[in-house]
Amino acid sequence: MRALYQQAIDQHRHRIFSFAHYSLRIKEDAEDVTQEVFIKLWQHWQKIDHEKLGGWLMRVAHNSVIDHVRKQRPQQANVDHYADVEEQVAQESEEGSLDEDGFKSQLQAAIKSLEDPFRSIVIMRDIQGMSYEEIQVCLELSASQVKVYLHRGRRKLRENTQLRQLFENQLSEKSEVKQAGPSGQ
Amino acid sequence: MTKVKVMPSNTESQCYFIQLQIDGYLDGDLSEAQCGVFMSHVQDCSGCASEFRYAQTIQDAVLELPQMSCADSVLEPIHRLSAAEMQPAVGVRSEPLSSQIWELLNSVPAYFRYGFPAAAVAVVAMVIGTNITSPVGSVEPLVASESVEQYSPEDISQALDELNVAIDYLNRLSQRTEVMIGDRFLVSPIQDSINASFQKAGIRENNPLDNGPI
Repeated sequence: MRALYQQAIDQHRHRIFSFAHYSLRIKEDAEDVTQEVFIKLWQHWQKIDHEKLGGWLMRVAHNSVIDHVRKQRPQQANVDHYADVEEQVAQESEEGSLDEDGFKSQLQAAIKSLEDPFRSIVIMRDIQGMSYEEIQVCLELSASQVKVYLHRGRRKLRENTQLRQLFENQLSEKSEVKQAGPSGQ
Repeated sequence: MTKVKVMPSNTESQCYFIQLQIDGYLDGDLSEAQCGVFMSHVQDCSGCASEFRYAQTIQDAVLELPQMSCADSVLEPIHRLSAAEMQPAVGVRSEPLSSQIWELLNSVPAYFRYGFPAAAVAVVAMVIGTNITSPVGSVEPLVASESVEQYSPEDISQALDELNVAIDYLNRLSQRTEVMIGDRFLVSPIQDSINASFQKAGIRENNPLDNGPI
């Protein structure tokens, strides 16, 4: 049994950790979630349908993430773990020299700021490449609900004002470079 | 059944319609004909073209986000746990006795949950009431005549106070269960029993029964 358990850990740990990391954006919390998930797997080993192990693990991870998000909320007024990154992003944006990392960092912050289940579905589908069927099982939603939530989640992501601002800055930066190009030669 | 969406005629609605289809286009969910309509509109409309470019940029950036790696050290405690020969029966919780009792109580219907303890308390109260009112010279076989001298009026008064508290508690319990166990089944029999006992004991004139909730 231990060998099978070890095999399950090896097979799923990166996906669980990754999901938790993009959902919470705090490495330590993501590690806690990963540990919780695999402890629960050990505890419920004999009750689980092992053919649906991946879905079961993601569902446990999803529930655990929701618990952590609830715990994080009151603390965020005092300790914002992303403040540094976002401040840097804003500064670079003002200077008009935003790099790709800054955009991705802002993108991750925007994903994290989505409400559930939009956040979980965007992460599962677009970052982790899970199929609609897998997401359905994990979140206990219908296929059409998954699709609607995914599209709505993406739209909410695009509505993020900071992200849009960064994109428009990049565009204008590029067009300025284009305009300056011929005259500079 | 697939819904057939018809492109609206005015420009504003067309833009709205096209922008709703952006995700469908990016996911490859649109039919060939829908793709054609979508692309021809995007090529002619700068607003929709900009929106589409933005959506595509975001989508590409999200798809490019890497899968995070979970360090081995994160799972070390898990390995230690499983190595400690912990059986899967760990799933059977070793909770404290109090929470197990509470769980058991929660699993039974409310009327039983409150009614059973209430009835138990009532029985105890009736037994106490009967014992403390042992009348002098009573012919009742349950009342021991030699025990009369063992209780002073203060003892009886204190016992009655305690009984009043118990009855008050039972009243509150019966209200919570929302069933008629209070007046009909608990309080009246106790009251009758106590009154009868005190009558037999001949000490009714100077006892504090009148002050309580009975």
